[in-house]
Parts: sequence; structure tokens; C-alpha cells
Amino acid sequence: MKMKRHLTLIVATLCGASTLHAKLNVVATLPDYGAVAAEIGGDKVEVTVMAKPTEDPHFVDARPSFVVKLKNADVLIEGGAELEIGWLPPLLQGARNAKIGTGAPGRVVVSAGLHLMNVPANVTRAAGDVHALGNPHFMIDPIIAKVVAQNIANAYARVDAANAETYQANYKKFETTINAKLQEWGKVMLPFKGQSVVAYHDSWVYFAHRFGLNIEIFLEPKPGIPPSPSHLAEVIGKMKSEKVKAIIVEPHHNRKIAEKVATSTGAKIVDAAQFPGALPNTETYVALMDVVVSRMAAALGGS
Amino acid sequence: MFKQTRLIMPMLSVGLFCAGAARAEDQGGALDALKKQMTEMQASIAHMQELHQHELAALKTQVETQQKVIDNLQKKTTPGVLPLPDKPGTSIAGGALFPTDDPSVAATLPTPVGGAAPMPTEFPTTDSAVTTTPNAAPSSGLNAPITLAGGGKTFLNISFDAMFAGAASSSGSLDRLEVGDHDPQQRGFNARNLEIALDGAVDPYFEGFANIVYKLDNNNETRVEVEEAFMQTTSLPWGLQLKGGQFFVPFGRINPMHPHTWDFADASLVHGRLLGPDGLRGVGVQVAWVTPLSWYSQLFLAVQNGEGGTGYSFRNPGDSGTFYGRNTIARPINSAGDLLYVPRWENSFDLTPSQTVLLGVSAAFGPNDTGSNSRTQIYGADLFYKWKPANAAGGWPFVKWQSEVMMRRFDAGRGLDNSFPVAETFNDWGAYSQVVWGFKERWTAGIRGDYLHMDDSVFTNDPDRQSRERLSADVTWYLSEFSKLRLQYNHDILKANHFLDSRNEDSVFLQFEFALGAHGAHKY
Repeated sequence: MKMKRHLTLIVATLCGASTLHAKLNVVATLPDYGAVAAEIGGDKVEVTVMAKPTEDPHFVDARPSFVVKLKNADVLIEGGAELEIGWLPPLLQGARNAKIGTGAPGRVVVSAGLHLMNVPANVTRAAGDVHALGNPHFMIDPIIAKVVAQNIANAYARVDAANAETYQANYKKFETTINAKLQEWGKVMLPFKGQSVVAYHDSWVYFAHRFGLNIEIFLEPKPGIPPSPSHLAEVIGKMKSEKVKAIIVEPHHNRKIAEKVATSTGAKIVDAAQFPGALPNTETYVALMDVVVSRMAAALGGS
Repeated sequence: MFKQTRLIMPMLSVGLFCAGAARAEDQGGALDALKKQMTEMQASIAHMQELHQHELAALKTQVETQQKVIDNLQKKTTPGVLPLPDKPGTSIAGGALFPTDDPSVAATLPTPVGGAAPMPTEFPTTDSAVTTTPNAAPSSGLNAPITLAGGGKTFLNISFDAMFAGAASSSGSLDRLEVGDHDPQQRGFNARNLEIALDGAVDPYFEGFANIVYKLDNNNETRVEVEEAFMQTTSLPWGLQLKGGQFFVPFGRINPMHPHTWDFADASLVHGRLLGPDGLRGVGVQVAWVTPLSWYSQLFLAVQNGEGGTGYSFRNPGDSGTFYGRNTIARPINSAGDLLYVPRWENSFDLTPSQTVLLGVSAAFGPNDTGSNSRTQIYGADLFYKWKPANAAGGWPFVKWQSEVMMRRFDAGRGLDNSFPVAETFNDWGAYSQVVWGFKERWTAGIRGDYLHMDDSVFTNDPDRQSRERLSADVTWYLSEFSKLRLQYNHDILKANHFLDSRNEDSVFLQFEFALGAHGAHKY
């Protein structure tokens, strides 16, 4: 009995200590969620990001070291649009952490409250790697980033009520910054409204929607299917007739293919990225958007 | 329209009444009066027309307003038609220059508190086309797809995976040459692994998994096996997990993996000969514990019946009641010591952000059916290394190196009624090592070396106890994540023992596979 009481006391003290002083252990599946998670959490959280910024988010290896990270996590931030479906489920099976289980307060599905675009009416893999819930590459829209930030702030507040005000304040700061930045980015992008841009993969639909671009031609014949010569020939034809000036390529795409297309069409390659840290000086979400917007404008602005 | 009729009727009656009254008076005055009335009538008709036009105009504007409302509604629900200004500095509706909100993506976002600077909303900062109320569940709506399987909207993932192989070989009995039950078993075509996989969350406490495998034997008869069917806990504290049902024991690396995730078309020699042609699996329970160490370190202990062909080195009656020459004894479970115990310890480290290793040691202990007190012990060590650069495209390129070594101590008793002349102890061991290089997006090339040493027994002529070596090379083309083509070449060297001659065999396999449906992701 006495032994038991001691144990209870020790456990209680440990738990108390951890909730009082320790930072929240936050794991984000992708670097864009991670960058926002770090901004909203400030010095109250410790953020671990699973996917590398230059990595293809569809094909992240479910490395066992992530099991340990997830096992110790207080909060897990995931997209909720099946972008991580190929690697997150087995990791969660290994982690067995009820705090971040489905529906738990520590589980943040950042796409909550979003109308995802490109929701397929019929799901068939004949159309390539379709995402049944809609296009999951949504963070590149700053308005969506605000919703994601708020979802994260709310989750932090749920899990760590003591610092709820800090998280909400950090969110407001983020929102204000984004609202101000949107004016800058909007001004830069407006001259190109309605212009057609080609992308390697269909991951720019939200960016196109936000800044009035027309991004409907892709080097991939179907999402996730590598470019074929016949498809590229078709793309080159379309690019010439529509006088497309830019091809968006991300770090994990095969740049050589884009270069060939660029050479035969005179278009410029925009080395863009969706993940903070993937390009030089893009450690934060805003810094990444700054670079993406300015590179996009530079490519479209040239005659 | 009614309004006009109501106006016309009194006007006409007034006009006729007046005309009648005028006839009673003098004719000349009447004419003047008539003229006057005519002009009055003309005026009233003109007035009517005017009214008509007004009404029409009003209706037109009404229609236009309605159209605008409809247009606005459509703008809100159709992403992509956000009212962006045409030129920088041009004002759009509401005096804003560029929207900072977009109800088509995000509806009610919290407004900045007093401290936040009020923004001159030039660019939209909200967009309900892409967002709804924060924290609302992801919208499904009527236009959302009704998914039969997967898509996060079902209770169950269902998938079907079919693997076939065309085979050519210098050996006429591929079923003896190949050691795995899902390997090609005859020259010509083979369908040895057609599996239905089901998985999903059972309830908040368990998830369930089932893998039903159909295969066609060499007479094209359909065989069915319940390869796996188990439940496992999802949220026990302290990194613990319990599993129960029919499942592969966590021995080594290849054993718990389903054949369609293997890098070669067939099982390695040591896997097929020591753990068994179907892998080591059975009915039982398992506890697993992710230790609190700072690196990934997990301990497993599985306890199973360890019987039948899937308990190959254990309580296995063997083909037609003989195993390694002995007439087997049907040993029941009399005590806990008659069960199969499989402990495993695995550790993993990230050497660099692009290099990972996984190291494991496993063992399996249990009785076997060749004697009334015979027991089997198997020990194994495995290594897995993978390199994948940080900017891999679709998962390519990569290099994987996988090796396993196993050692088995098999007490072969004297069989039923001590009918076999001697009791022996076989110390068998073997290893394989394979390197798979993902050299180009969706293409891999692999090479594998296999070694198997089986102790000689002067009293048995069992070809399953022949020491062997094998060299394999393959090229695989993954057309997508859901289909692949594989060409493999095997060179087998079978060594002489007391009853069998040494011989070399060459085989070529063309494996093709497709997967349908939502298949659960695989472990690292």
C-alpha cells in the first residue's frame, strides 16, 4: 500500500512537472505546417517536422525514428487530405500514442474548414494519383495558411490551456502579417492576371486561384505519372500557342525534363517550392511566399 | 398586367359615357367635344404605354438584380472567379483593391483584435471559396464523391493484389527448386498470390487486418489460405501494443512482409528452408513495446501454436506424415512449453537525414514433431540500410541493402514409435544479402546472393536438406505504385550429399502484378 502511494505520488509529480514546465512536443508531417506551427507556438513548443523541405511529400519514408517522435508527441499536425497516406498510417500504428489518436485533442487536421479544390467526382486510378478528398497542396494559398494557423492555435489552446492567450496572440500576429503581405504579393502578381503558367505537377491550383493565374497545363500527363515524350510534345504545342512564359518546377521534380521543354518553347523555369526551407532564405512561411511570388513575377515579367 | 386592365376599363367607360352625353347636345359642340375626347383618349393611351414601359423596365432591372445575386452566389461557390482587380490600383467591389478574404475558401475568420492594425484591404485576405468556418469538419456536401473504399470515408480499406509469373527454367521441377510457396512453381505461368487485404479501425481500441490469399496450384485448382487475420490495440500506454489472431511472427525482415512487397520474385533460400515455404505464422498473441530509449528500439514477443506447414520447423506433420525422413508424431499442447515463442529486438538509427539503418535480432523456440521431446531453436540477425536523397522524385533514386542470417538447431528425433534408426541434431544455417538500386524513376535493379548450409544426414535423402547457393539479378519497372513488371534471373547451385548429385540450374521469371483499391501503407 505504502509503496503504491509513493508510486502514485512520483507519477503525479512527474506528470505535473511535465505539464507545468515542458514545452509542447509538436510533430508536423510537412514543413509548411511545421513552419506555421513554430510561429504560432513560439517558445512554448518544440516542433519536429517529418518530411524534408525538398522531399516529395507523397513519398516520404516511414523511418522508424519517426515512431519515437510520434510516441512522445503532444500534438500531431497533419494535412488531412491524404497527402501523407502512404507513410503516416504505419507510423501511427507504431507510435500507439492516444494523445494524437484520431479525434484526440492533440490531433490537428489542418484542412478542417477548407473547401479543397479538384475534388474528383469519380475516383479512378486511371486518372493517375488522384486524391479522393481534393487537391492537398493547399498551403501555398496565404488565405488558407491563415485557417491552418488558426486550426493549429486552437489545438495548442486545447492541449495547453495555460498558454492559450499566447497562441491566440501569435495567431493574430500571423494573420496581420499575412493580410499585409497579401497586399504586397497581390500588387506584384496583378499585372499577370489571367496569364497561363505551366507546372510540373498539379500542386499550384490554390496559388493560381489566389493570384488569378491560369495553371492548367502540367508536364505530368496525369498526377504522379512521369512525363512521357508524347505528352511533352503536346504540352510544347499548347505552350507555344498560348505563349506560356513560365514552367514551375519544385526541388523534387526532374528539372532536366522541364529544361528541355523550356528550351523548345522559350519559357523560363521558375524554381519554386511549397515548403519553407526548400529554397535559400525561406525558413518561414512568409519568406517562402516572398521568394515564390518574386520568382514567379520575374519569370512572367520578362518579355 | 392586371393593373393595366383595371386602368383601361374605367377610362373606356368614361369615354363612352361622355360620347353618349354629347349626342344629346348640339352636333357642332358634339364634334368639338368628340375631338377633345379623342385627344384625351390618345393621351391616356400614351400614358398607358408609358406605364407599360416603366413596368417592363422595372422587371428588367429586377431580372438583372437577380442575375447579379446568382452570379455572386456562383462566385462564392466556384473557386477561381474571385473578383480580382484588373490592374494594380484599380478598385474592385466594395472599394477594396485586392481581396484579403475569400469566402469561397474560408468563411468566418476571426477579425483582428484591437491591437492588430486595421488593414487597407486591397488584396483579399479571406476567401470562402476555399475555407469555411474554422474547425468545421471537412465538408462533404452533395458534390463530394461517394467512395466505396478508402478515401477516408469508409470503415474499411479493401484491396486486391494479384501477382503472376511466367517461368522458364532448366529444371523440370520448379516446385522443388523454388523454396517459397508463393514462388513460381512450374514452367509456364503461375498465379501464386492473389490476395484480398482488408483493414480498418475496429473501434477506438483496436484495428483489424485480414489477408486472404488465393493461389492456383499446378493443376490450376484454387487454394485458399487465411494468411493473416488479427486485431491489435491502438492506444495502450507506455508504447505497448497487443496483437491477437493469425499473423506472421516478427522474425527477421522478409518473414512479416507480404510477397508483393518483396524485391525479388521468390523467397530467399534460408527463409524458405528454415522458417518455411509459407513463412512462419500461426494463431497466437503478441506483445510489442517501443522502449523509452532516445532512438527507435522495439521489443516483441509472439506466442503461437507453431503447428502445421506454417509452423514448418516446429509441430509440423510434414508432407504425408514425414518430415526429414521421420514419421512425425502428432504432439498436442500439454503445457506452455509446447507453444512457439518468438522474441525480437529491433533498433533503428538515422545515420544522416538521407540514410537509415534498421538492425534486428530474432529467435524462435518450440517443439517439433520428429520426436516426443524434440525441440527447435532458430536464431536470426538482420540488417536493412536505405539511402534516399532529400530531393528524391517520387521516391527515386535510392539504394537499399538488406541482409539476413539465420541459424537453426533442429533436434530430429526417431519419429513415431522410434521407427527412424537414429536421433540427430542438425545445425543448419544460411544467409542472403541483396542490394536494390532505384536507378531511375520507377525502375530498380537488384542483385542477391543466397547461401544455405544443411547438415548432412546419412539416413535421409530429403532434397529439402540439400545445401545450396543461388545468385539472382532482377530489373523491376513500377509503372505506378499499383502495377509492376519484373524480370528475374536465378542461377542455382545445388550441392552433392549422400543421395543427391550436384547440379546447376538456371531460371528466368517474368513477374507481373496489379493492385486495386485502398491498400494499407507498408512498414519501413
